[in-house]
Amino acid sequence: MLELLVQTGLNALYSASYISLVAVGLVLIFGVMGIVNFAHGELFMVGAYVVVALYSQNEVPFVLTVAIGLIFVGCIGLLMERTMFRPLRDNPLGGLVASIGFLMILQALASMTFGVRMAFVPPVTQDVIEFTDKIRLPVQRLYVIIAAFGFLTALWLFLTRTRFGWALRASAQDPEAASLQGISITQTARIAMFIGAGLAGVAGALTAPLISVNPHMGHSVIIAAFIVVIVGGVGSLEGAVVASAAYAIVHTFVTTFYDGVLADITGLLLMLIVLIIKPTGLFGTADRA
Amino acid sequence: MFANFTRNGVTRRKFLGSAATLAGAGALSSAFPRVPLAADKVVKIGFLAPLTGPVAAWGKPGLDGCRIWAEWVNAAGGISIGGEAHMVEFVAYDNEYDPAKARTGATKLIREDGVKFIMMLGGDTWPGVQPVADNTGMLFSTLLPSDLSPDTKTLIAPCEVHPVYNVTGVEWLAQNKPDLKTAVMCAQDDALGLPSVATYLAAFEAAGIEMLDEPLLFDPATTDFAPVVTRLLSKNPQIVCLDTCYSDYVHPIAEQLFQQGYKGQIISCTADFYDQMIAKTSKEFMEGFIFQFPDFDDPALNADFINFKDANKFYQVYNERHPGEWGAVSWEYASIMDLWKAAAESADSAEPDAVLTAMTAGGKGKHAFGDADWWGSDLFGIDHALVGNWPVVVIENGKATIKGFKSIPEWYAKHGELLKKHMTAYNQMWNQR
Repeated sequence: MLELLVQTGLNALYSASYISLVAVGLVLIFGVMGIVNFAHGELFMVGAYVVVALYSQNEVPFVLTVAIGLIFVGCIGLLMERTMFRPLRDNPLGGLVASIGFLMILQALASMTFGVRMAFVPPVTQDVIEFTDKIRLPVQRLYVIIAAFGFLTALWLFLTRTRFGWALRASAQDPEAASLQGISITQTARIAMFIGAGLAGVAGALTAPLISVNPHMGHSVIIAAFIVVIVGGVGSLEGAVVASAAYAIVHTFVTTFYDGVLADITGLLLMLIVLIIKPTGLFGTADRA
Repeated sequence: MFANFTRNGVTRRKFLGSAATLAGAGALSSAFPRVPLAADKVVKIGFLAPLTGPVAAWGKPGLDGCRIWAEWVNAAGGISIGGEAHMVEFVAYDNEYDPAKARTGATKLIREDGVKFIMMLGGDTWPGVQPVADNTGMLFSTLLPSDLSPDTKTLIAPCEVHPVYNVTGVEWLAQNKPDLKTAVMCAQDDALGLPSVATYLAAFEAAGIEMLDEPLLFDPATTDFAPVVTRLLSKNPQIVCLDTCYSDYVHPIAEQLFQQGYKGQIISCTADFYDQMIAKTSKEFMEGFIFQFPDFDDPALNADFINFKDANKFYQVYNERHPGEWGAVSWEYASIMDLWKAAAESADSAEPDAVLTAMTAGGKGKHAFGDADWWGSDLFGIDHALVGNWPVVVIENGKATIKGFKSIPEWYAKHGELLKKHMTAYNQMWNQR
């Protein structure tokens, strides 16, 4: 039983890693721009297809591919900011609808470019760390855990130690006051979109060898990310990380000890309970909820 | 709006004139129907299946196979009806495995395209289409006989007897590896997964193989299968059964089994694109993997009792045109068309009721894998499933190999009550669905 618990814990750690990357990006975009980006799951998908195009089909080294995935998807985020969210800055509902349209465009582009069927991504490594016969951590999954930790730490340092980061947090807390202090709302929105989209892209790129890459893969990820964002508190980065861990632990343990369908229901119940006890989410504040 | 138009040089007068011309042309085209020319000699067949989305692997390759079939049939003179040769044309509609879209597609194919027969994957999409079938009397086919019920008289399952053929794999396993006595199973919780779960449970029970745990069901939206596999392996099974999981799930589950150190037997309904599974695991790990869908270059498909014509050539042409795309359904819809063609020529009509009558006449039919019986009233409430032999396929040295053909009716004659028991337990009998 102890071995089963430890193995399940390792599974949960991996799950929390990539979900937190996606959820933090989603929160960052909402926090700074006030827009719910429904296309965020598709940015995850695009990151995975960057790996298909470069690593799988053209043998570009995986690490380089992941870096390109981050930058490429970040640039898509900039494109979204410029063409959709900036013109609709005073219309959050319009931004939401535009993001739904954009997700369909990304899905269609992926289908037309790569086909509708699951794309093949060869394993980066087949090495496995064997703690015991029953406790094993594939090195590919360890890469995701380490990378997620690194990116989230870098983001935290950026937000707390740099002028751009302070500007971003100020804009998220009170855009009007930030603007009066000379902070460019447009500039902070650009940075938020680049980082938020890039994190989704890098999550997709990192996990591409471990999951089924297809044009519709963003759907299930965005559902988990939304649950995490709501549980953590809309607009709270710390909340997104903590809620990712909580969601991953609950979902993974319920799947292992009961079944996957019940795990999904439990995830939603977790959200419901948090909303009843603390409607703003674990780390949320009333003005953002 | 008009100001913008005039700024670009389009005057109001020109705009109104153009609009009137367009409206007039539209009215004329609807008043005078398009002259059919050669249309009288074309039979249109509807292809209503998922061509995009996670279930596309069980739709799109089938359409590709049908196009090869149509090319061959048309080159050979088409279908002879009423003494005239009719070319076959497929009209495809992507239902995205969504019941509402399937219903829209069925209506469009019947009313706008004038198809004479519609082939579907079935499953979750069938409830959306069933009212259209009942209202129009259109002949539909499904790959999933679990869609059959006596409520709809124009639905047939002439190719796949999913999930009942899965019993043949388990029977072969029990006969050839009798030392394997314990199993676990996982499946997605949907219309495809659940009847298959019931079938595998019956087959394992009939073979004396003990289930170590309840089947582990997962949501079709699952992306990370590590927890599922951890749970399966925690029971120390000798056999892991992957039920009828979609290929998007079979691959990551197999990869997880490999990464979590499993070295036992795997049995699955499908193993589409198994070469990629080998690449993600190893040849040794995949050795002995049992499933139910052969590559059509298998020499066993040249046997005299096989009714699918030129199976090896079909596989070769398919792979030339769609390299690496061969899957479980690549040949299935085409084999249904063989039956439909024979029935239409026998009935001398493409009308749905006449074709259905001719197809089921005498209660016998020529299934791709040999002569078979129209069967199913016991399980589906109607004898609209064509059931006979089904191949058992094993991966040997990195290649799918047919190990034999086993009789589904013979298994059912011995163990039918077990199957009904488990189908009933999962609410999968026709009168429970």
